[in-house]
Amino acid sequence: MHLKYESQLREPLVYGEKTYGQVTEDILKPIERKPSKLWYVGFFISSALLLFGVYSVYRDVTYGIGQWNLNKTVGWGWDITNFVWWVGIGHAGTLISAILLLFRQGWRTGVNRAAEAMTIFAVLCAGQFPVFHMGRVWMAFYTLPLPNTRGPLWPNFNSPLLWDVFAISTYLTVSLLFWYSGLIPDLATVRDRAKTKFTKLMYGIGSFGWSGSTKHWQRHESLCLVLAGLSTPLVLSVHTIVSFDFATSVIPGWHTTIFPPYFVAGAVFSGFAMVQSLMLVVRKVFGMEDYITIGHIEAMNKVIVLTGSIVGVAYLTELFMGWYSQNKYEGYTFWYSRANLFSPYGWSYWGMMACNVLSPQIFWFRSMRRNIFVTFFMSVIVNIGMWFERFVIIVTSLYRDYLPSSWSIYYSPSPWEIGFFVGTFGLFFTCFFMFSKYAPVIAVAEIKYILKTSGESFKNKITKIETEPLDKFVDEQKHAH
Amino acid sequence: MSALKLHFESHPKLIRWGYILSIIGIIALVAGFSTEAFSADPEISSHFWGTLMYNSIFWTLVCNAVMFFICITTLAMAGFTQSFRRVAEAISTLVPIFGTIAFLVLIYQIISHNHHIYHWLDKDAVAHDPILKGKSGFLNPTFFVIWTFLAIGLWSFLGYRIRKISSEADQGPMSPEQGKAYIWKNTVNASLFIVWFALTVGSTIHWLWTMSIDPHWYSTMFSWYNFASTFVSGMSLIAIWVIFMKKNNYLELTNQEHIHDIGKFMFGFSIFWTYLWFSQFMLIWYANIPEETVYFYHRMHGPYKFFFYANLVINFVCPILILMKRKAKRNYNLMIFMSILIILGHWMDFYQEFMGSIQKSHANMGWLDFGVLCFFVGILLLGVNKALGKKPLIPVYHPFIKESVIHHV
Repeated sequence: MHLKYESQLREPLVYGEKTYGQVTEDILKPIERKPSKLWYVGFFISSALLLFGVYSVYRDVTYGIGQWNLNKTVGWGWDITNFVWWVGIGHAGTLISAILLLFRQGWRTGVNRAAEAMTIFAVLCAGQFPVFHMGRVWMAFYTLPLPNTRGPLWPNFNSPLLWDVFAISTYLTVSLLFWYSGLIPDLATVRDRAKTKFTKLMYGIGSFGWSGSTKHWQRHESLCLVLAGLSTPLVLSVHTIVSFDFATSVIPGWHTTIFPPYFVAGAVFSGFAMVQSLMLVVRKVFGMEDYITIGHIEAMNKVIVLTGSIVGVAYLTELFMGWYSQNKYEGYTFWYSRANLFSPYGWSYWGMMACNVLSPQIFWFRSMRRNIFVTFFMSVIVNIGMWFERFVIIVTSLYRDYLPSSWSIYYSPSPWEIGFFVGTFGLFFTCFFMFSKYAPVIAVAEIKYILKTSGESFKNKITKIETEPLDKFVDEQKHAH
Repeated sequence: MSALKLHFESHPKLIRWGYILSIIGIIALVAGFSTEAFSADPEISSHFWGTLMYNSIFWTLVCNAVMFFICITTLAMAGFTQSFRRVAEAISTLVPIFGTIAFLVLIYQIISHNHHIYHWLDKDAVAHDPILKGKSGFLNPTFFVIWTFLAIGLWSFLGYRIRKISSEADQGPMSPEQGKAYIWKNTVNASLFIVWFALTVGSTIHWLWTMSIDPHWYSTMFSWYNFASTFVSGMSLIAIWVIFMKKNNYLELTNQEHIHDIGKFMFGFSIFWTYLWFSQFMLIWYANIPEETVYFYHRMHGPYKFFFYANLVINFVCPILILMKRKAKRNYNLMIFMSILIILGHWMDFYQEFMGSIQKSHANMGWLDFGVLCFFVGILLLGVNKALGKKPLIPVYHPFIKESVIHHV
């Protein structure tokens, strides 16, 4: 009796005549050999960017957020735009691990590990912005509802900004646990193959004495299932609450009920784009074309065109309601500050529309979904577009508020604002380079799990079963019980 | 070797109950028609037409949501649905029938200028109301009729195409190439349906049909919220029919595992519905802008209070508590009970959405509501019973059918 049957019509998820041993060899190769020159170059560039970010933040902390170009009406600018953008990117990992697990999508195994790692790094980057936006960063602990000696001074529990603190820290914790529990069996594999005592010791500590016994696997699987169950509502809650930061207000362009699901769809959209950008490079540099196949890329592009279109419907809904409501403030924000190409920020709205709604439509075509160059190009375009989405939402709603006398001059970021953003790229890629060196970028154990149903060589062997008539097949199954 | 039972024999009980319910429905309709429909008091006549509106729209959208399920699982290349897809297809054949009823009811409101329901039909009021005047590009009889016709017409037509393509899987074994081409053909047609679905159910149609009853009020979430409501009801409807077929010894290839999966959809999308409900309600409550809270105020505090809270209890508390456990989703009787509860819950949600706006001062769910409900359920029983007999119950040569046989959750 089999537990799963997979039609030959489905593309294999692992190419080549692979055995379990080979899977291990292939995926662990980058860890067991010395890093290439390219790795060093990349790592140093990222570290340099990170250092520049550290310096930008140093200036912010020392001289205050006057170092940034935020002004009278634009009190949130690049900082919060970057925050929402990074949080959004941090959605794909958990979506792939948890929600696609619930939907039993086998292709997730090729990309889940790296996507989960990416999630954690992206959330780390996101967290920097609200913290340093506080100005007096040493007071950051005021956001926590700790029993204190500050008298009646407590955080405002009615504020979505505080809900953010809870949502994001919970999300980070669970994502980290999820990612690490998945890593344990693979770290143990690295430990068992280690050639030096030091490596053995380090991976030994990292894998918590994993022995691969049935008991271990049993506990591991139940743990992963519980964490998947926990992270599914969490992944929705995080961007929902980020959207509340805007939607609970009475600012035109922010206060709209569609925000929560639309932000979640946008987050998944940008998260998948970032996974594409990273995985296309990883697959090339590490030679993992057999594991991250064109089929994987195509599946992710389908998610991109789906979520991009959902976001598109939401944009048009908002724009429509801006008119339909006949509320002149909403109308002004949507039809003047945003959709009018010749208004000061009109270019950013149309840039967003072009990147997020129009361009992903090319993925309706199969040949485009399976084209690596188009995919890479589009993944970058989508991330630019999603950055602009947040910029449009924040800046175009703020720069002309209810009081024309305070209408600000055109907001453009200072070098230190840009430096901070660039620094988070440094942080993100430094973490990612470290990860790709010290941990398997593909989940070895999970690939083995699908190898005998979805591996190319195994699929080729089922032609006989595939061609036999249905009732005979059903009979055989019955007798196998 | 056991042969699969592919042919559905028309079920006497279904026919009997189909007739009983539709006759009860027709009696209620006739009674309502003669006593209320043309009453001089617009409150009374709108009660009749409003009841017909929300029932016909609800059942059209629920059956259409079943077609949406077929299409979205086609696009996701799902295998597990193949063993019971013919049941879902049979339910979706009701879209043109219910759609025609909904179309006639809606068009009648336009022709008769029923501005007690659609205030924007009142030309004088529109002329003196700058907001309604501003909206008249969207809220006008011509656009309403054309868009309603196109929406229902294309749902019916595209659904018909999907069902027709499905029959090709009965004709004979497919070679791998033919199989691929077949999957491709399904995918293309399912995408067409989804695109049209997004442009109607995912956005415009709920604004036009439902939200415009409160012509000043607006919420960007409105259509997605209603989509969730009808989708979870559609999944429940599939569950009822699949379990009915199982109990009558059909669908040998479908078992607890498949029901469990349908149950997961019901559970997951009940929570998704709640998520959308909460997002819409909470944002309006929190911002506390009178133009927006006006929609909820009389529902929460006025005569619709019971429905407001019952909505949350039936559609959220019950599914999350009862369907959480694995065992519950694998228990046929419990699943039938939950499916009926969920469908009634969302039917009631439609009731409060429509009637809560049409007659704000009092809620009188009574014989007419249940009578009209009987009418639609009766037609559904007869229609599905007939549609099931027209095609083999299992698409034997579908390329993914074997995946549906070996399916363990």
